Amino acid sequence: MADKEEVFEKVTECLVEALGVEEDEVELSASLQGDLGAESIDYLDIVFRLEKAFDIKIPRGDLFPENLLSSPEFVKDGRMTDQGLEELRKRLPYADLTEFEANPNVAEIGNLFTVEMLVKYVEDKLNS
Amino acid sequence: MRLEGRTAVVTGGSRGIGRAVSLALAREGASVVVNYNQNEAAAAEVVAEIEKAGGKAWPCQGDARDPDAAQKVIDFAADKMERIDILVNNAGVIRDNLFMAMSDEEWETVLQTNLGGVRNFTKAVVPLMMMQKSGRVINVSSMAGERGGRGQSNYAASKGAINALTRALAVEVASKGVTVNAVAPGMVETEMSSNVRGMADDKIRKSIPLGRYGTPEDVAGVVVFLASDDGAYITGQVVTVDGGMTVAVKI
Repeated sequence: MADKEEVFEKVTECLVEALGVEEDEVELSASLQGDLGAESIDYLDIVFRLEKAFDIKIPRGDLFPENLLSSPEFVKDGRMTDQGLEELRKRLPYADLTEFEANPNVAEIGNLFTVEMLVKYVEDKLNS
Repeated sequence: MRLEGRTAVVTGGSRGIGRAVSLALAREGASVVVNYNQNEAAAAEVVAEIEKAGGKAWPCQGDARDPDAAQKVIDFAADKMERIDILVNNAGVIRDNLFMAMSDEEWETVLQTNLGGVRNFTKAVVPLMMMQKSGRVINVSSMAGERGGRGQSNYAASKGAINALTRALAVEVASKGVTVNAVAPGMVETEMSSNVRGMADDKIRKSIPLGRYGTPEDVAGVVVFLASDDGAYITGQVVTVDGGMTVAVKI
């Protein structure tokens, strides 16, 4: 079974490599975009490094669901619709959506992607 | 030796420009995986020539049209060489015909091999290059990408697309230390152009300011430059190598 501390350590390594941040900047609550400065290409880099570090396969769209923001059923006037939130809940079962659900401003969706989310996802993958 | 210790994959490396590129990269010290589709013997010859000169090379079969095959070639190369510094997307074919007479097969084969091949191999290699924080992707395009020639609508479409893809991808991956460029040869002395040259030799020569066809080595030299440290600050560019053909006005 995967040790949470070990997973966090390796995830930290991946983020340091991909984003060029310092180890101590990588806290569980840190958001990839807001706190660690990740851009879209970085998300891919992170996925590749996680796959290599943990010897797992991460299907494209699993961690950072594409197409969520481009569908008119899911986003209206810069806010996520109820349908969109439903879809989001399905695609990111390990993310904490409470804050976002209260104010589903799509421009801030990046805040959902935290270090903790990555750790939970990897643990899930390793334990399944 | 400008590429000492570097590693490269050259698609369609068994003949023509691909062969010259494989040999040139190896001459500069790079280890080379020579990809081919059907020409097993020719690829083996290229590998043998590289080894005879003291270099390292391996042949690797894979159809550029097949994403899984391309992935297997990249996996093979990563396994043999531990990293991939240079990818030369050279695999390409022609199926000339006038546009209105062109069959679906002629259209698809050229698009899938030439453009699809670039996509398939590049997609497989970029994750490695990103993790290495360095890499050079060099696409072999053609002057046909920017100039219209009768009977080559499919080829021209594929090469024009490669030029645009070169620019778009370069911007995407630049922050990860990967450069993406293309070379656009004019009329080069290879099997691919032998028919056209045979039919209109005199006329074509007269339209080339430098007065001669290009050699595969002329093109390979530019590829080596782009792959070397001297080319490090160049990205998103299409470098035309045509003896002046595309800039000449016929008076």
